[in-house]
Amino acid sequence: MRARDLLTPFPTVTPGTSVIDAARLLADHDLPGLIVVDDEGLPASILPGTQVLRLAVPRYCQDDPALARVVDEAHADALLSSLAGRAVRDVLPGRPRELPVTDPDATALEMAALMARTHSPLVAVVDERRLLGAVTLKVLLDGLLAQ
Amino acid sequence: MSVLAWVTVAVFLGAYALIATERVHRVAAALGGAGLMLLIHASDAGAAFFSESTGVDWNVIFLLLGMMVIVGVLKQTGLFEYLAIWAAKRARGRPYRLMVLLVVITALASAMLDNVTTVLLVAPVTFLVCERLALSPVPYLIAEAMASNIGGAATLVGDPPNIIIASRGGLSFNDFLVHMAPMVIVLMVVFTGLCRVLFRRWFVYDPERAAQIMRLNEREAIADRSLLWQSLAVLAVVMAAFVLHPVLHYEPSVVAILGAGVLVAATRVTTEQAIAAVEWPTLVFFMGLFVMVGALVETGVIGQVASLAVEATSGQLGLASMALLGASAALSAIVDNIPYVATMSPIVEQMVQAAGGPGPGQVLWWSLAFGADLGGNATAVGAAANVVVIGIAARNGTPISFWRFTKYGLVVTVVTVALVAPYLWLRYL
Repeated sequence: MRARDLLTPFPTVTPGTSVIDAARLLADHDLPGLIVVDDEGLPASILPGTQVLRLAVPRYCQDDPALARVVDEAHADALLSSLAGRAVRDVLPGRPRELPVTDPDATALEMAALMARTHSPLVAVVDERRLLGAVTLKVLLDGLLAQ
Repeated sequence: MSVLAWVTVAVFLGAYALIATERVHRVAAALGGAGLMLLIHASDAGAAFFSESTGVDWNVIFLLLGMMVIVGVLKQTGLFEYLAIWAAKRARGRPYRLMVLLVVITALASAMLDNVTTVLLVAPVTFLVCERLALSPVPYLIAEAMASNIGGAATLVGDPPNIIIASRGGLSFNDFLVHMAPMVIVLMVVFTGLCRVLFRRWFVYDPERAAQIMRLNEREAIADRSLLWQSLAVLAVVMAAFVLHPVLHYEPSVVAILGAGVLVAATRVTTEQAIAAVEWPTLVFFMGLFVMVGALVETGVIGQVASLAVEATSGQLGLASMALLGASAALSAIVDNIPYVATMSPIVEQMVQAAGGPGPGQVLWWSLAFGADLGGNATAVGAAANVVVIGIAARNGTPISFWRFTKYGLVVTVVTVALVAPYLWLRYL
């Protein structure tokens, strides 16, 4: 079982995509995360769903968790409104040390190790500078359990 | 001077240049310099590790260590968030009143805790409050950094340069309270007035926005009430023990480390958490500095510089203290005030001796302390608190440029130092 056997097409966003559209894509398609691609269509950043939330949480609440508690319910519910007009590029965290990107020949063990190491619920599969798709945690586990 | 002395000076200046230009990590620069001093026999293990005057000053290291642990616990309580939001509500969303309350809270906290921690705690909540009020956080952040530098000057534990000065000059916590704190209160009053003038165009009051601030719930900031009371009790006992030194005879370093120990033993805070709260790189940086400066003392360089300074100002204590105040403010604006004070302390020590001992010569220590603490406000890189605030602002998407900070910083430094000069003159000279 190799990455090429498990991969499926995966929707992507660009740094220019609005954060609201990116959030909607994630929610509507029930995606485990987001792949942000650069001008050449290659993964520039891969964000697990929980990290996509970071885009919406004000920086001061990330710096100081106590501040999230003091905000009243009405303002807390309007969390996403502050993101209107902002693009993924504006809120993207710094480039991580390693991206969960692999090639079509990767084995199940390689992909599992990569996911575990990068805390990512998906790995992007790239071949000859082209994004082929992604293998998600669910697909990988289904494949492994079927053996 | 001997060849060794000249080599020592070269090593010292090289390390200092690396620290000032941040070409390498400051810990690497200080330790590299200290290592070279040992390598060339400008210092040895006996002096570096065991001499109070030419080696690592363990009183300074352990005082910092103890306070870092206490602050690390206090940080978890949510007290600062509570106070800042309470202040915003008290100010009823009025921009200038809000600034006054925030800078007073920052200055008071900085007098008891270190400046960097204080601004790290108050900056995030400033963003929240300013966002609610649709105000720019920039003037608030700048004012808070400056208030922490001014407030920190008030006590022995408020600013690292004061800790070094106290240890080298044999000055007590109460000496700082009697000689520094009253003037710092005056400076804070003047500073709040200055804020009104400097930042006036930023203050825009919006009644609708102001109403929204009242919906923040500051009580939610405090997650663990018992931890809050326990740490406040320990902080109160530590401060009382500092003040009661003439009765109890515990050195400040001993008080701080015992306080930290009691806090960890009595609360749910674990030893691992307490150790994680300590900024080890800062402590190691201090150790490296002490060994480097110690080598300058051992090889007679400091003695030479001190006798030149004594000669130049012989019998003119007034001239000496004013020159020290001005030069310290100017130099601390450009280089980190910690290495500056570490280097100047042994020189000032000899100037104090030449001026007739700790009694009449004490004004020189206060000149050094005021100059170094207040000079830090002048530029964006003058004090650690400024650097931290600028970093937080950039991360939150409201960058503060070097010149924007420095434009305000120069005004505040010139005004505060100009006020300190007559204070020193009238009180001591």
